Amino acid sequence: MNNKATNTSPPRITSQVILDRRRTARMIMAVVYLVLLALVVWSVQVTVIEDTDWNRLGGFGKVWEAANRFIGLDMALFPNLIEPAIETLMIACLGTLLGVFLCIPAAWFGALNITPFKPVTYPLARMMMTLSRSIHEIVWALFFVSAVGLGALAGIFAIAVRSVGFIAKMSAEAIEDIDPGPVEAIRAVGGNDFQVVIYAILPQVLPQVLGVIIFEWEINIRRSAILGLVGAGGLGLVFFRQMNTFNFHGVMSVIVAILGLILIGEALSHWVRRALI
Amino acid sequence: MKILDVKELHASYSASGPEILKGISFSIEDDDFFAIIGPSGAGKSTLIRCINRLVEPTSGVIVFDNRSVTTLSRKGLKLLRRDIGMIFQEFNLINRMSVMDNVLSGRLGYTGNLRTLFRSFRRDDIDHALQLLERVGLIDHVDKRADELSGGQRQRVGIARALMQNPKLLLVDEPTSALDPKISREVMGLIKQMATELKVPCLCNIHDVDLAKEFCNKIIGLQDGIKMFDGLTEDMDQGKLDEIYAMEVL
Repeated sequence: MNNKATNTSPPRITSQVILDRRRTARMIMAVVYLVLLALVVWSVQVTVIEDTDWNRLGGFGKVWEAANRFIGLDMALFPNLIEPAIETLMIACLGTLLGVFLCIPAAWFGALNITPFKPVTYPLARMMMTLSRSIHEIVWALFFVSAVGLGALAGIFAIAVRSVGFIAKMSAEAIEDIDPGPVEAIRAVGGNDFQVVIYAILPQVLPQVLGVIIFEWEINIRRSAILGLVGAGGLGLVFFRQMNTFNFHGVMSVIVAILGLILIGEALSHWVRRALI
Repeated sequence: MKILDVKELHASYSASGPEILKGISFSIEDDDFFAIIGPSGAGKSTLIRCINRLVEPTSGVIVFDNRSVTTLSRKGLKLLRRDIGMIFQEFNLINRMSVMDNVLSGRLGYTGNLRTLFRSFRRDDIDHALQLLERVGLIDHVDKRADELSGGQRQRVGIARALMQNPKLLLVDEPTSALDPKISREVMGLIKQMATELKVPCLCNIHDVDLAKEFCNKIIGLQDGIKMFDGLTEDMDQGKLDEIYAMEVL
């Protein structure tokens, strides 16, 4: 078993030890996967099998019939969708822009390496980010509708506040990951904190941050398209009315309009990304 | 016996771009420790990467171990690469994996996908890896992550990984430029020693002429993709060196 390698110093690690260790590691992984599988089965049992009204569902035919009501478009509705679609797009753009401004202090405070007064500013920024992300945009919109009334302004605020969490978190992380070399160099020439940010930090994180902003803007188009459900303007409001009047073809028309808007947004974001980054 | 024979090798990175290698020919015997020297941008790395086709040559003939390298199928290329070990300038280790796993990765050419997925290497391979780690002086670092090691230690892992392949040829790409002078000499010494012991011929890019002269028995001098010198180390003199490095002065 023991070959020539063992004539010096403390006991060497042997192949057997490594093989055994690897086997144990595989066993542990197998157990982990089994537990995960059990959790999935249990979740399906509780949420799907027990919680569904199987009698109301009826057979496959009835499900198909109910779904079928949505197939078809209300062509007459389309001209009335142009204005809300533009409004939706504007809510997304203004909301993202406002969100970006809110992000500047949040990212600055939230990056460990540049936060001005760590015990206070860092937790504050992290709390802002978490709060922003943990509350759904619809809930934010409800909040702002009751604060500033029905209409697009509430939507813009909701989008802005909801965007801060993601953009600021990603930006702060990008700032934390920068190469410290340039910072050192700017410090060494006698630069102040502001100059360090402008010369050594911004150029390094700009591509990443721009990418995140564009990505968030794309998501915000989707978000603003449904905010009308709670009275915050845009296509969602039309959607809500069509649903209430049981005009299912009208609902479908709105969905198609939203889809079109999102495709436009994706194309634009692809193009902007190519041009900027 | 000739292990590698290169004839009229041309390479460029794009059809319209500049030609990096302009008709290089040379051959390596199975006991050679061959240095390629030359200024930056002369095409040293490209030349080495053409041998295992990490870079596709545009024309020319490469014969390795009686196989025509340039015409190999995908399968054939994989089998070829299995027989050629490579050591890199920036080590190219998998930083998040242990030293052991990095060394064992030298056997991936012989390991199936299922074994790869479960990192279930054969006992022989693990024995071999331990022997090599012992030889390169890292036996006490087996479980460490690759990024916990110093530069010199990382290159030793790189050497062990290449030797795990039981290669018939070692391609060595600037093994010391990321290291300080003392460690550089140690690393070159180790490569030389292992190559001699295991009878593996080496083709080594190196910009440090003194190291080349110290460790290699033959030298090729490249300048701007053209071979300026090809011969025994003892035939290389200051005049020839000045000629090879003339461009750098400009």
